[in-house]
Amino acid sequence: MASTSEIKKGVVIRDPQGLWVVNEFQHINPGKGAAFVRTRIKNLQSGKTLETTFKTSETIELVEVEHRKMQYLYHDATGHTFMDQGTYEQATMSDQDVGADGKYLRDGMELNVTTYEGQPIALELPRKMVFKVTESMDATGGNTVSGGNMTKEVTVEGGIKVHVPLFIKQGENIIVNTENGEYVERA
Amino acid sequence: MNPEFIRARSTVVKLVRRFFDERGYLEVQTPRLVGLPGQEPYLNPMWTEVEEADGMVHRTALITSPEYALKRLLAAGFDKVYDLGPCFRNGEPWDGTHDPEFMMCEWYRKGIGIHELMDETEEMTRSILTNLPVFRRMTVAEAMKEYADVDLEPLLGNREAIAEVCRAHHQTVVDTDTWDDLFFKIFLSEVEPKLGDVPTFLWCYPASMAALAQRDPDDMRYALRVELYVGNLELANGYVELADPTELRARFEEEQALRRSLGKDVWPIDERFMEAIPKMGQAAGIAFGVDRLAMLLAGTKSISDLMPIPARERF
Repeated sequence: MASTSEIKKGVVIRDPQGLWVVNEFQHINPGKGAAFVRTRIKNLQSGKTLETTFKTSETIELVEVEHRKMQYLYHDATGHTFMDQGTYEQATMSDQDVGADGKYLRDGMELNVTTYEGQPIALELPRKMVFKVTESMDATGGNTVSGGNMTKEVTVEGGIKVHVPLFIKQGENIIVNTENGEYVERA
Repeated sequence: MNPEFIRARSTVVKLVRRFFDERGYLEVQTPRLVGLPGQEPYLNPMWTEVEEADGMVHRTALITSPEYALKRLLAAGFDKVYDLGPCFRNGEPWDGTHDPEFMMCEWYRKGIGIHELMDETEEMTRSILTNLPVFRRMTVAEAMKEYADVDLEPLLGNREAIAEVCRAHHQTVVDTDTWDDLFFKIFLSEVEPKLGDVPTFLWCYPASMAALAQRDPDDMRYALRVELYVGNLELANGYVELADPTELRARFEEEQALRRSLGKDVWPIDERFMEAIPKMGQAAGIAFGVDRLAMLLAGTKSISDLMPIPARERF
């Protein structure tokens, strides 16, 4: 049995209803309650996605997965296709399984992919990636959800929208945190 | 370091102070170091020692909140008080929304109820985040129904019943889970992430989560407790304050028992605080995370952006 501190993106949990890959996780301390780990998990057999929350003191059963170095080849109607750089085998992950990570994929890029029984189940993107700002309007006011006025939204390569400080201009390279889609700093 | 973020936090501190000063609140710098800190089962104070000249050593903690000191001020005759300063909590995740040393504004006012407390909290927040819409007010039971499709009422105080709901919602249920733990599994999975962008007061908590709040005299199964969520951030936690010394002592004893069962250290009840409580009268108060407010103003998702030196560089 494993501790909840081992919960990460791409680990596979076994419970009475089968095998579940962790797509997202977050440690939460509500203060008024115990510490928890909130997860979004996906059933490897049925594809069903659930939100489930573990108390940090619980134990869970983790299943062995592999981490393979792969190259991203292309995207088509079946999803995103990768090639194992050791065996040259190809494997495809559906758009749904790739989820929000898909927008960071660039043809030819190398990355680690978590696989279970040969099938890719999660991407291990570089935590920080550099993108060129392709579209930036001069900010005249705030447009963030909560009324902030210190950032503006720009578009970077691949059509990704990122909130950046006002001083960032079109054509500049910026570093984006792929875990949360946030601006880190100028590249 | 982004100078805009540093300025944003400074601005928020000034604006919060101005809001309360203009309303006739007295700012009091209450002690950061105390012998008997709050005993909340899930908060971990940071311990140190204070040494006198003769070598006498006092075990001392940094406060997790200025609550006890402010309530003693109410008992001493002050009607409207606030403290704006750092608070310290150990063992919290450095996940962008926590820093072990964070800025809190806590204020108390005599003679008001839960709705006036929400009114003033909303006015303060909107005086800083000026383009926020009107805040929504939902009871915890309403939120559980709306987002998780769970009827809370029949589950209150019934561990087996809420365990059954947890299993149906694909949550784990383990022997050590209390009723509150099971509640949180559903709440954190299905309610909190869906509160969305409308600033929301969640109020009327199950009595088991009353902490130091009064129970609702109209329905003792609930407590007059409120939390404010804005943009998926929990900004504030407030109570109509429990002023009945007998019930308060029972709550502290329950907290101590829970701490023991969690394998945590326990210290004596602050008897000077207990003596003051009957003199406090009817009051409500709320603890508000100022850094999180600044995060919303600055438009950043990381508290570290606001810190002149982030936790990862300090320790």
